[in-house]
Amino acid sequence: MIYQKEHYFHTFQVDVPLMDRLLKEALRSGGDYSDLYFENTAYGNLVLRDGAVAAGGNHIDFGVGIRVLSGERTGYAYSESIAPADMLACARAAAAIAPETAVIGDRGDHYVTAESNGSRMVKRHFRGEPNPAADRYPMRQPWSDGEMSAFLPFLQGLEAAIRQRDNRIVKVMATLAFQVTDLLMYNSLGELKFDTRPMGSVSVSVIFQQGGRVENKSTSRSFRCGAEMLTDTLVEEIAVQVTSGIDAQFEARRPKGGVMNVVMGAGASGILLHEAMGHAFEADFNRKGTSIFSDRMGDRICPKGISILDDATIKGNRGALNFDDEGVPGQKTYMVEDGILTSYLHDRISARHYGVSPTGNGRRESFRYAPIPRMRATYMESGGADPADIIASVPAGIFVDEFANGQVKIGEGDFTFYVKSGFLIENGRLTAPVKDINIIGNGPEALRNIVAVGNDLRVDPGAWLCGKEQSVPVSCGIPTVLVHGLTVGGE
Amino acid sequence: MKDNEISITPGMLEEAETELARRCMSYARECGAQKVRITLNKSLLDLVGMLDGEVDKVTHALDRSLQVALFVDGRFGSFSSNRLEESELRPFIRQAVDTVRMLEPDAARDLPAPERVARDAVTGREMGLFDPVYATLTAGRRREMAVRTSLWHRKTALGQGFTLVSEEGEYSDSVFDTVVMDSQGLFARHTETSFEIGYEVTVEDPEGNRYASYWWDAAPTLAGVSLDDCSETAVRRAALQIGPQDIPGGKYNLVVESECASKLLNPVLTALGGYAIQQKNSFLDGKAGQQVFAENLTVLDLPRTAGETGCRLFDSEGVATAEFPIIDKGVVTRYFINTYIAGKTGLAPTVEDSTRIKVLPTGGCKGLDDVLRKVGSGILVTGFNGGNSNSSTGDFSYGIEGFAFTDGAITHPVREMVVTGNFIDLWRHLLIAADDARLCMSKLIPTLAFADVDCSA
Repeated sequence: MIYQKEHYFHTFQVDVPLMDRLLKEALRSGGDYSDLYFENTAYGNLVLRDGAVAAGGNHIDFGVGIRVLSGERTGYAYSESIAPADMLACARAAAAIAPETAVIGDRGDHYVTAESNGSRMVKRHFRGEPNPAADRYPMRQPWSDGEMSAFLPFLQGLEAAIRQRDNRIVKVMATLAFQVTDLLMYNSLGELKFDTRPMGSVSVSVIFQQGGRVENKSTSRSFRCGAEMLTDTLVEEIAVQVTSGIDAQFEARRPKGGVMNVVMGAGASGILLHEAMGHAFEADFNRKGTSIFSDRMGDRICPKGISILDDATIKGNRGALNFDDEGVPGQKTYMVEDGILTSYLHDRISARHYGVSPTGNGRRESFRYAPIPRMRATYMESGGADPADIIASVPAGIFVDEFANGQVKIGEGDFTFYVKSGFLIENGRLTAPVKDINIIGNGPEALRNIVAVGNDLRVDPGAWLCGKEQSVPVSCGIPTVLVHGLTVGGE
Repeated sequence: MKDNEISITPGMLEEAETELARRCMSYARECGAQKVRITLNKSLLDLVGMLDGEVDKVTHALDRSLQVALFVDGRFGSFSSNRLEESELRPFIRQAVDTVRMLEPDAARDLPAPERVARDAVTGREMGLFDPVYATLTAGRRREMAVRTSLWHRKTALGQGFTLVSEEGEYSDSVFDTVVMDSQGLFARHTETSFEIGYEVTVEDPEGNRYASYWWDAAPTLAGVSLDDCSETAVRRAALQIGPQDIPGGKYNLVVESECASKLLNPVLTALGGYAIQQKNSFLDGKAGQQVFAENLTVLDLPRTAGETGCRLFDSEGVATAEFPIIDKGVVTRYFINTYIAGKTGLAPTVEDSTRIKVLPTGGCKGLDDVLRKVGSGILVTGFNGGNSNSSTGDFSYGIEGFAFTDGAITHPVREMVVTGNFIDLWRHLLIAADDARLCMSKLIPTLAFADVDCSA
């Protein structure tokens, strides 16, 4: 949502002259660049447990972060008060980064990025005010309209829809969380950006009991939109997903471990892409030399035909951004094109380091944090294979349809993913269900060992949260993919 | 330091702020709340980040928040704001009370009984966790300490066979001050300083393979934290990983270094939590009083050990903490039951969560070297890489990094390995708990050894 700028000036009780004064104070020791990040976030949540929506609340997080860059070094401070004296004190604290190294009088020029334009170099600014017509997350029904009680029937209906699908259910817990964040960003390049980011998330956890055994399933949906997301269709979709496959889960066993061919199901398997490859493409890891892809720009890192991108432009997606948290327009960034590493994910610092334009990946959890390169919606484009043919091509292996989480060691590229559910593949057919196993491998090796890509890209609508130093909402996706030679942990 | 000096230390609550919290409690009652709990937090953090031997960032962060738990007409809601101007808080609280009225009733919600809450946390300093040195630190002193910790400019002297390609570290110090008060007369305060150093490094072998590791230390006092050897330890741990080899899968003795051993106990503690028990989402549901684990496993909670990181006199509800066994010779003796879960389940209330867990030594080993000698051969785990567990069944699967060892001596690093099992079964196979828990960690879990663990490679 993008309102008129007066809305944001009023919310934060500032105007351009006051913000200029703050920036001047922040740069008084000689930093190269400074920016202000005003945030007002209103959270709400309702929890259904034991058949009643008997817990909930509202939360407010309000403040301004002031950053000073001196070369690639960062001074950062924030204030929860917008009294001018408090903000000026905050600016002085951030300025402390500068004294040792700053080049006084060079303000801002280091952070005007150069971009090749034929034979001459042009400066790239992100001036101009936000365009409401280009908004990627309009709210048809703002969360703040009406009372919270209006959302109780949604959770109650969701529980009923879930319970009627399986008589082995003993517990249902459902949470509706929603937030609206007003942002105002202003920097020493004179760029003024403002944005209102909504987010609604529904999370469900269900406990099943069969005989003496207990199993659980959970799922979530999350979108940047208003309360219009709370539809009967969403209820049905969640109810189906959180109850399907439970028979297989009760039957599932750990397989015998070893090195196998692994077919990643479309959608949530994209977490593998996020963890094992995406983090290694974040430019701060590369700028610091810690990524396994640090010296690989322009190299072929996976077979032809594979393209991997990070995208802020999917309307209503959890990773969508009109602007990143440095005021750089959200955009679609190809990291791998036709198998070639073509771009890292940049914030302003890393863009300066590499002499490229920032890619709109400078993100932060809140005004309490300085921005760093982060993913948005990361996915692999569809290939040409039929998913059924991919499975049929595997004599022995594992099909994974639900990952719970993953982790990667950026320097080595080693990753581990926890498989919540899947199936053995025997002679090209899905056979026994498996669960609670890990798949481990190495990112660059796994990329090289992709041997088939399905034509069924799906961006998962779940409430994914990336926790690199700070928590930010992301999404991920992948078509059905066959990877040779991953290690599966089993009995 | 005198008492009146404490109150003006930056980052600590001032009397005006606690008075504001009291007025908020009164106002909530005026608006119709029968019972109210208010938690007022304030903290100040200063951080100096180092990258490859140079100061890379400085951060100054002052936080305040006011959390309000409201009990209105048999209903409950929790609210928070960091806008602590009274003109902002009053409409916020009035709206909060109105919001709670819209929720469904829940008879189990209540404040803890007055006889259960802490009465001995008055000044916040009773636990001896406030270091007066904190108030004397300047930006220059912090920068000097951070710069001193870096090895980057001495990296040529680090050793043979590898190159240090990246060194990233942070020195930070903070003060955290919190007050919990309720409408039944509770007033409990806790104040704690913390000083921390941490380094992440990446080294490269002659073939261009990279290996990363980290090390950290923290203490409530500046004198208690080891600043100078942190980066060197991280480099040593990274270099030890050079030259990993595959080993066949199978059942191995597993030795888990104290630095990462909490990964194997935390799911057990979660399973003892009241919410997991009440929601039937715990593999330890119904196990209270039973011999579930090996007889050599005893786990205590020691929340009132003065001077130790994380110790507290009260939990988030203000309930007084107490020392008690959680697992006694393999028998589950305690669930963590807060007031709400007690009301829901009929179980006797305890405290909300564990505070300062200690696994008692068993097997007669002092530290890691003793454990390796006694166990003989197997896999030493120095870190976990991903994985998860099933909270209902206790099944787990974790990626590991570490070393193979034979005849009590490390032979080579291992790679791409996964351990799988079930927590109940794993802890039944506990061989040794050494006596080398790191004081800087919130849980005192030493190096552990287990028999017959499934490892895939």
